[in-house]
Amino acid sequence: MENKRFSLEEFAALFPGRFESQEQLLREYKSFLAVLEQLDQTSVPELSGRQKAEIFRRSWQGRRCDWSRMSAWLDLFKRPVVAFAAGIILGCAVMFVALSPRSGRILPEITSVAAAAEPPLTIEHIQRTQVYRGKAVERMYPQIENPQIVVEKTRESAKPRRVLYGTLDGGEIYVVWNL
Amino acid sequence: MIEAIQRSDEDAAACLYHRHIDRVHRICYRIVLDSSQVPDCVQEVWMKVFRNLGRFRCEQSFAAWLNAVTTNTAIDFYRRHKRRGKPVNLDETCTESLLAEQAEAGPQYDDATIRREIRDALEEISVNQRTAFILRYFEEMPLPEIAKALGCRQGTVRTHIRRCLLSLRATLAARFHQEVQEHGK
Repeated sequence: MENKRFSLEEFAALFPGRFESQEQLLREYKSFLAVLEQLDQTSVPELSGRQKAEIFRRSWQGRRCDWSRMSAWLDLFKRPVVAFAAGIILGCAVMFVALSPRSGRILPEITSVAAAAEPPLTIEHIQRTQVYRGKAVERMYPQIENPQIVVEKTRESAKPRRVLYGTLDGGEIYVVWNL
Repeated sequence: MIEAIQRSDEDAAACLYHRHIDRVHRICYRIVLDSSQVPDCVQEVWMKVFRNLGRFRCEQSFAAWLNAVTTNTAIDFYRRHKRRGKPVNLDETCTESLLAEQAEAGPQYDDATIRREIRDALEEISVNQRTAFILRYFEEMPLPEIAKALGCRQGTVRTHIRRCLLSLRATLAARFHQEVQEHGK
């Protein structure tokens, strides 16, 4: 007595070293055959022709969706040759846009934004004192490092005192110059 | 045929579909275990097949590829619906037979009762164990193919089948024994 789809050999291979004797193996195998016989009594009800046709129609129509197209495109770009060619084309396009005359309108805007970030002269007001620093002052005293002009009054009606502060020799010499 | 379907040839797709629909339906039915949900699961399988046919390489076995798609889709479908807590739908014939059986004095196991008992027993087994057993016993798939479809090693497939068999034997024996006792009272 043996099941065609579940042979004694396969059963023995599924339970290696579990049974002490051949008799025990056969006894256990028969008990499982009874279970399999019960399983064999259950049949799967077939789909009707109408159900089959409906499932096919929906599946065939449902295959056309955006993500599947995207996935097909992504699959295409996974090929090294296509990816390399696409990279070259993209690089050329970026270079063309960057170097074309029309792009000149964009670049000065960028540099002016960078320049605008650092004004030529900043004035700091502290009570009756004003501190002038920036590129304009540096241009006036090019030999002095980090120059700044301080204009201060001891009182409102007093005459202002103008002093230039800065350093020389890489910060070794501190400069205080009354202007 | 595969290449024709990839070019959106509907007739070729229909031909392929009708060649394999019964096997796909059988596998889905035995994994999902809910007759009302099975057509939706089968549709999901075929939608995936038609969408992903571009990934299929002709040097592979189409049947093996289809088995893998079917198995994984049905397992996902089962887990999704189980998580949602959908009740397992009993066939009307099965319910009727149960009511009729209750009225009778003795235990008579008709097809519907046995089907119900076996389905309940299968439901208690983990879906991976059940699937490995279904593919081996009902679909007669070789172990390496089952392992590939389930994404595990052959040793794991053997363990799944062994545990499924042991659980089935224990559960079915307990169920039928219980019914005999209930009818005997």
